[in-house]
Amino acid sequence: MKKGMIIGTGVVLVWFLAASFSFGADTIKVGIIDTYTGPATAYTFDVLDGFKMAVNKVNAKGGVPGKKIEFLTRDEKFKPDIGLAMAKELVLKENVDVLMGTINSATALAVSDFAKKERIPFFVTFSKSDKITGEQGHRYVFQITENTLMAGRAAAFELAKKPFVKYWIAGDDYEYGHAICDGVWTQLKKLKPGVQKLGESWWKVGETDFTPYITAILAAKPDFIIVATGGSGMVNFQKAAKATGLAQKVPFYQHTAIELSTLEPQGLDAPEGVYGTANYLFYYPDTSENKAFVEEFRKTYNRYPKIGALYGYVTGVLIEKGFAKAGKVDKEKFINAVQGMLIDSPVGKLELRACDHQLMLPMFFGVTKKVPQYPFLIASDIVIIPAKDYMPTCEEIKALRK
Amino acid sequence: MNKNVHGKEFWPVLILFILLLILPLFLTRFYIYLLALIFVSGLAAMSLNLVLGYGGIYQFHHAVFYGVGAYGAALTITKLGYSPWIGFLVGPLLAAFLSLVMGAICVRLSKLYFGMLQISLGSLVWAIVYRWYSFTGGDDGIHGVSMPALIGSTKGSYYFALLVTGACLMTMYFIVKSPFGSTLQGIRDNPVRSEAVGVNVRLHQLAALVIAGFFAGVAGVLFVVVDNSAFPDMLFWTLSLEILIMCLLGGWLTFLGPMLGAAIMVALRTFASTFTEYWTLIQGIILMLVIIFLPEGVLGYVNAKFRQFGDVTSGGKA
Amino acid sequence: MEFSSSICPPEILCQILVGLSRTTILFIVASGLTLILGVLRIPNIAHGSLYMIGAFIAFSVSKWFGGGATGFWMAVALAPFAVALISLVVERGIFAHLYEREHLMLLLLTFSLALILGDLVKMVWGGEYRTVQLPGSFKGPVPLASLPIPIYNLFLVVIGPVVALGLWLLANKTKIGKISRAAAVDREMVGAVGVNVSWVFAIVFVIGCFLAGMGGALVSPIVNITLGMDHTLIIEAFLIVIIGGLGNVWGALLGALIFGLTQSLGILIWPQFGIVFPYAAVVTVLIFRPTGLLKSTW
Repeated sequence: MKKGMIIGTGVVLVWFLAASFSFGADTIKVGIIDTYTGPATAYTFDVLDGFKMAVNKVNAKGGVPGKKIEFLTRDEKFKPDIGLAMAKELVLKENVDVLMGTINSATALAVSDFAKKERIPFFVTFSKSDKITGEQGHRYVFQITENTLMAGRAAAFELAKKPFVKYWIAGDDYEYGHAICDGVWTQLKKLKPGVQKLGESWWKVGETDFTPYITAILAAKPDFIIVATGGSGMVNFQKAAKATGLAQKVPFYQHTAIELSTLEPQGLDAPEGVYGTANYLFYYPDTSENKAFVEEFRKTYNRYPKIGALYGYVTGVLIEKGFAKAGKVDKEKFINAVQGMLIDSPVGKLELRACDHQLMLPMFFGVTKKVPQYPFLIASDIVIIPAKDYMPTCEEIKALRK
Repeated sequence: MNKNVHGKEFWPVLILFILLLILPLFLTRFYIYLLALIFVSGLAAMSLNLVLGYGGIYQFHHAVFYGVGAYGAALTITKLGYSPWIGFLVGPLLAAFLSLVMGAICVRLSKLYFGMLQISLGSLVWAIVYRWYSFTGGDDGIHGVSMPALIGSTKGSYYFALLVTGACLMTMYFIVKSPFGSTLQGIRDNPVRSEAVGVNVRLHQLAALVIAGFFAGVAGVLFVVVDNSAFPDMLFWTLSLEILIMCLLGGWLTFLGPMLGAAIMVALRTFASTFTEYWTLIQGIILMLVIIFLPEGVLGYVNAKFRQFGDVTSGGKA
Repeated sequence: MEFSSSICPPEILCQILVGLSRTTILFIVASGLTLILGVLRIPNIAHGSLYMIGAFIAFSVSKWFGGGATGFWMAVALAPFAVALISLVVERGIFAHLYEREHLMLLLLTFSLALILGDLVKMVWGGEYRTVQLPGSFKGPVPLASLPIPIYNLFLVVIGPVVALGLWLLANKTKIGKISRAAAVDREMVGAVGVNVSWVFAIVFVIGCFLAGMGGALVSPIVNITLGMDHTLIIEAFLIVIIGGLGNVWGALLGALIFGLTQSLGILIWPQFGIVFPYAAVVTVLIFRPTGLLKSTW
C-alpha cells in the first residue's frame, strides 16, 4: 500500500511541476482577493464591477502602453488565513503585478505585510482599519477607501456644530466598532469639550435584533447616539430604529447611514432623520462626471452604483495611469509614478497622497429623507467635508509609523 | 511489537520523507508554501485524531488549542518581545495547559455532551481573544511576526515545518503503539470493561487530551512560522469542524489518514477557487460523496482494498 | 463598567417583552432542531441554511405578490411549506439511506448539505441584501410607558405560545405525534410493531424543517436578509437545544426563554458586556446539568 502512496506522491509532484509553468503574457496582471461569500458580498461585487468598468474602458482603447489589463479574482470567504494564502498564490504562482482587495481588515493587514516582503503594490479597496496606512503603513500599500479614524473625525467635525450634549455610544463589539467610536468621540471631545458620555452598549458582530438595545438606551435618555455598526448591521439597526421610532425620539449617527448600500434594501421603509457620513452618493454632486459615471454603470450593470463601485473604479484608473506614466511594467516605477498622483473621478479631482498612500476622498455628511423621485431614501442637507479637513496630517502619520 | 511490522512500514515512510526533503529543489515557491501549509493543517488534524480516532472522544472544538498555540507564540514574540524560540515553546505549553483545564471540566461527560460543553468553553476562549484587542489585536489579528533568518524564508519555513511535523508524527506513532495508546483504544472500544479491569478512564482520557492539545499548539506555532500571522478565526468553531472533516475525509481509523485529508482539503481549496466562484458548493458535494461512499475515509478505503497485502498503514488497528 | 442609572419596572417590562419576541424566533427554530435530533438522532447543521432559505423565499413570495400586507401574509404562509418540500426531497434522496451511520458522519453529512445550500442560495438570489415589507398595521411602535415596542415584536410574542401549543397538540393528540415520541425512544420496537419507521422519520424531519422555514419567514421583515444568515442562528439554536435537553420541545422553549431574557435584561443592567449573558447562562447550566435542564430522549 505504501507503494501506492509513493506513486501517488510522484504523480502529484509531476503535476505540480507541470502546473508551475506559467506562460508570461504581455499584460498587466492584477490579482484581486475579496470576499464573495456571505453578507459582505453586497459590497464587494460593486468594487469588482466598478473596477471592471474602468479596465474595459482602458482595454478598449488598446490598453496601457499597448498592454491590456487582465485580472484574476479569488474568494477568501472573509477568512484571513485563506485570503493570505490566496494572495501568495496570486503573487508566487500567477505572478501578478498588482494586488487588490479586500473588505476584511485582518486579511488586508496580513496581505499588506506580505506585499511589503515581496515588494508588490497592494491597493486596499474596502477595509477600514486605520492601521493600514497608519502605524503599519509602508511604501507598498495604498488605501483607496476611508478608514475608521478618518470617518470618525469627519463625523465629529459636523456633530460638534450641533446642540447635542449627552451622548450614548453603541456599536459592534470588535475592532471596527470601537475604532469608529473612538475616532468620533476623541475628536468630538476635542472640538466641543462640554459633551458628556452617559454610557456605552456593545453587541456581538452580526447581531440582528437591536430592539432590546434600543429600548435599553432610550431608558437612559441621551440627547444623541453614536452607533458604530457595519455591514449587515447597518440595515438591521435601521430597521429596528424604524420599528421603534428611534430617530424621532433620539437622533443617532452611523457611518455609511446615508449610503445606498444601507438605504436601498429598505426601500421606502427606511427611517428618516438619521445622520450619516459616506464617501459616495450617486446623485450628489450633480456634476457631469458623476452623471456620466452613473449612466455608464447603470447601462452595464442595471443598478445604481454603490460606494464600492467608486472604490473599484478609481483603483482601475490609478493602475492605468500609474503604469502609463511609468512607461513599463515595473513595480517600483509604478509606485513612484502613482504616489502623489492626481486623477479625475466621479467625485472630482482626487489625490493619492504621497506621504501615506491614502486616497484623499471628500466626505459627505447628511440626514436621511424620503423624496418622490426614488424608491428609497436619500441624504439631504448635505455638507461636503474636504479630505484635508478630516484626514490625519502627514506629521501625525509619520509619528504613528515610528 | 513485531519488529517485522515496523520494518514494513519504515522504508516507504523514509522514502517519502527523503522525497519531501528534496522536493523544494524542483518546485516554485508557491508549491513549497502550499506543502508547508499542508504540514501545518495535517499536524493539527493528526493531533485531533489522537483523541478522536484513537480515543473515541468527540473533540468538537480542537481548533482552540491550535489557535492558542499560534497566539501564544505570536504574542510572546510581538507583545512581550522575547526571542521566537521561546515563543515556539510558549505556544504548545499554553495549549497543553488550556487543554488540561478544559479537559478537566469536560471529561466527566461523554460523547455528544462532551463535544457540546467543549464548544461552549472554546467559544468563550475565542470571545476573550476577539474582545481583548488591546492585547491580542482583536479581529485584526497579529501580523508581521518576525522569524529567525534561518526559518524565515519560504524554503526555510518549509524545512522547519517538515522537520517539526516529522518529529511530532514519530512521537505520536510511538505513543499510539505504546501501552498507553493501547489502553486508550481499549477505552474507546469499551469504556465499561476498561473501568472494570481497573483502568482510570477519566485520567487516561485527560492525559490524551493534554497530549493532543500540545501537538495542536505545535501546529499553531508552525502556522505562525509559515504565515507570520495569527488570526482569531483560528479559534472559531468552523475551523474545528474543518479539522474534523480532514480526519474523517482521510480516514480516522488509520494513522496517516488525517494528513491525507489535510492535503486533500488544502489542495481542493487552493485549486477549486481558481476555477469557480462556488467552491464551497464543490467542497460540500465532494464531502457528501466521501461520507456516503467512503465512510472510512480515503485512506481507510484504500486500506481495505489492499488488505490482502498486509495492514501496513493502519497503525491504529492493533 | 457602568451600570444603568435607573432601572424602573416599566423599562424592565419593556425589555422582557422585547426579549420574549426574540424567544419566539429562537424557540421556533430550536424546536425544529430538537425534534430532528430527538427522533432521528441527526444533529442538523443544515438547519440554519433552511432558516435562511425560508427568509429568502419569503422575500421572493412577498415580491411576487407586490409587497404590503398580501405579500407578507402569503410569504409567511407559503415559505415554510416550500422549505418543507425541499427538506422532503433531501430526506428521501439522501438521509433515508443513511440512518444507520454513526452520529459523527450524519453530522458531517448535514454540514456538507449546509455548504451546498449556502452556495445555492447565492446562485439563486445573488449577493444583495433583501427585505420583506411589513403590512401597514404592523409598522411602527406601540408606546408603553413612553418606551417604544414595535408592534411586530408583540405579534411575535403572541405567535410563540401559539406554535408551542400547536406542537404540543401535534405530539400528544395526534397518532403521528405519539408514534414519533415512541420512535424517539426506541425505533426498533416501533418498527417491530409494524410501523414504517422510515416514513415516520421523513415526517418528523419535514416538520422540523418546516419550523426552520417558518422561523426564517417570520424574521424576514425585521432582519436584513443576507447570505451568511445560516451561520448566525445555528450555534444559538444548538446551544438552546443542548441546555433544554436533546429532543425535548419544552426544553427548547425553556432554553429559548433563558437565552432571550438573559440577553435583553443583561443589556439593561450591563450594556457594555451584553454579549456575555446568554453564553454565561449556557455554561452555567451545562456545568451543573450537563445533560440539559429537561429530560432528553436519548
